[in-house]
Amino acid sequence: MAALVGLRACFSALQLSSPSLLHSSLKLCAVPVSRRTFAAEAKKTFSREKPHVNVGTIGHVDHGKTTLTAAITKVLADAGGANYKKYEDIDNAPEEKARGITINASHVEYTTANRHYAHTDCPGHADYVKNMITGTAQMDGCILVVAGTDGQMPQTREHLLLARQIGVEHVVVFINKADAVEDKEMLELVEIEIRELLTEFGYDGENTPVVIGSALCALEGKQPELGMNAVMKLLDIVDSYIPLPKRELEKPFLLPIEGVYSIPGRGTVVTGTMERGVIKKGDDCEFVGHSRSCKSVVTGIEMFHKSLDRAEAGDNLGALVRGMKREDVRRGMVMCKPGSILPHQKVQAQVYILSKEEGGRHKPFVTNFMPVMFSFTWDMACKVTLPEGKEMVMPGEDTSLTLTLRQPMVLEKGQRFTLRDGNRTIGTGLVTDILTMTDEDIANFGGLTKNQ
Amino acid sequence: MSLTFLFRTLTRDAAKVSICQHVQLLHTGCQLLAAEKAVLMKLRKSTGYTFVNCKKALEKFDNDIVQAESWLHEQAQKEGWSKANKLEGRKAKEGLIGVFVGDKSAVMVEVNCETDFVARNEKFQQLVKDVTFATLAHHRNKTQNQAGYVKSILVGDELSKLSVGEGASLADQVALTIGRLGENMSVKRAVTVRIPAEWHIGSYVHGSMSCQTEVAMGRYGALVVFQGGKEEEQEDLGRKLGQHVVGEAPLSVGNMDDLPCGESETRLLPQTFLTDPSRTVAEFLRGKQARVLDFVRFQCGEAAREETE
Repeated sequence: MAALVGLRACFSALQLSSPSLLHSSLKLCAVPVSRRTFAAEAKKTFSREKPHVNVGTIGHVDHGKTTLTAAITKVLADAGGANYKKYEDIDNAPEEKARGITINASHVEYTTANRHYAHTDCPGHADYVKNMITGTAQMDGCILVVAGTDGQMPQTREHLLLARQIGVEHVVVFINKADAVEDKEMLELVEIEIRELLTEFGYDGENTPVVIGSALCALEGKQPELGMNAVMKLLDIVDSYIPLPKRELEKPFLLPIEGVYSIPGRGTVVTGTMERGVIKKGDDCEFVGHSRSCKSVVTGIEMFHKSLDRAEAGDNLGALVRGMKREDVRRGMVMCKPGSILPHQKVQAQVYILSKEEGGRHKPFVTNFMPVMFSFTWDMACKVTLPEGKEMVMPGEDTSLTLTLRQPMVLEKGQRFTLRDGNRTIGTGLVTDILTMTDEDIANFGGLTKNQ
Repeated sequence: MSLTFLFRTLTRDAAKVSICQHVQLLHTGCQLLAAEKAVLMKLRKSTGYTFVNCKKALEKFDNDIVQAESWLHEQAQKEGWSKANKLEGRKAKEGLIGVFVGDKSAVMVEVNCETDFVARNEKFQQLVKDVTFATLAHHRNKTQNQAGYVKSILVGDELSKLSVGEGASLADQVALTIGRLGENMSVKRAVTVRIPAEWHIGSYVHGSMSCQTEVAMGRYGALVVFQGGKEEEQEDLGRKLGQHVVGEAPLSVGNMDDLPCGESETRLLPQTFLTDPSRTVAEFLRGKQARVLDFVRFQCGEAAREETE
């Protein structure tokens, strides 16, 4: 299997690189190769033709993560799919603010023949976790860089562990610095070792694609076999091995309700912004949340006072629903495809607690802390339970938490939310697991609600 | 899993060797023999040094694994120093605080590195442990004859000169770890306290790593020196006080009778107690018939930040 993929990759790498070699000196000529239409020094408008995928590089320090990133942009810049970024430009990861959280990450974009990529390179563990929680650039897959001279080193392990933790399922290995290894057999040993390591961390070590090359050669334009061609081969494998993330439009529809109106003579209209999916006139729908649930049918969709047959994710719309009273539905509930989503009361979440500088609390909190959880259009008081062995959470750190809501609300794995306390945002998080309520939880929460 | 891989390479090589035998006679040393490869894998597995160095070592000592290993250790020290010199000046703001509480004395150290990945590494944690015990030993030697409360603070150079075990200095140890992990590191500061018989030391380490040593490590650490309290409650009391110090970051102890002045209170005693917000620390201590005499709080990277500012 791996061999087949490799072979295929070789061919397409050749296909890709040869026209670029031939034509690099004749950039201004109209190039009649249809595959190169993406080149043409595209002006500053963002083109959405190609599916977008987020990738990142991980690996031990000095194994060439940043050099590889630079090499990728260089090789693709020759083909017109990227702007060449120098090593120094990537290495000085700027501080970015996403949802008020400071993340040190450098994002680089490039385009291959088939896809558009955003490439993330973070300097620290905490940055990757923040990246995951805020969803700035959730990684759909990553490239593990290992130096052929060294083999796996201590940080390689930590990085793989991290990749597991933040839910990266697809890893492609690039064995770097192959030009500095005289003995090709040693590269085989490195490869064997890295496959073992991948298996140890629960990845499919045997079938993980491995590319051997040298990012430095690609940057300097030497030894094309190890340099440019290897990078091309790597990109081709990334293209084929890392699957496209499921797009929002393909998922069952979900509309978090922002407002409910009753229009005399017509009925009840719910408004909101479509979170995902596609909705059509006549579709069955279900309203869930605030301890209620009822089914209905969408009888009309309107946008900007004009009726339409079909609305999709991102649209801000009003939907007329059959046989519902205004009191049956309220803000915070969701309208969804029947059975596609359920309310839950207790979840496990990975949360980043904002530091004082980012506008969060300056004090730590302990178990039984009661912030308010905001997600979609709902908000609900919840109780925090710290994981075992942890006694308090300091501002500026990320942690796993168990959150118990006062009432069941629509929650699912992967949903993002914000925690607020008083008038202050104290943290933001991602649901990692749905838990069932125990009798003890119910009893405890009864007591707490009375006190409120 | 590893066995199958090894087997596969061995068989592959056996095949290769039988075919290329004549060729090998001409180009000696070009290809690794299967046996050599197994030794190389073994050496690499047991030492964790890079493939290139392992191979060099084996070539040097004609596949004698014992000699190769000791040579590698020597080499690692040298490489560590050259690497350490190369990396000098790179910012090291992450790292760990290590805390060890012994009999009537305690030590807290800060060791910095560049990224939090390294802070999670066993080798780095071993370094923190070495630093902790070296400081403790040094402190014990120096304060043997002194009675009463002794608190000493060591920074930078003083620490690097301390010796670990057989003659090697702490600086050597740091260089060795730098060589292995490839990041700049520095032993930032250390504080040691020794107390008279009737006093007690409470400690708390926050964000602790699940390390197997007796030294607690994390991103924040606190030592609290106090008096009184019921015998069976002392440990818990010390821990709670330590936790409060980490969480609320007081700057001074203050007086038992100080009036609290709101959220921004920086004196320990009038602060609202972390685990029981209905009382101040002073009230809590009164209830336990205890007195806080002194405390130290370390936050990882704070010293480095102050320097740059």
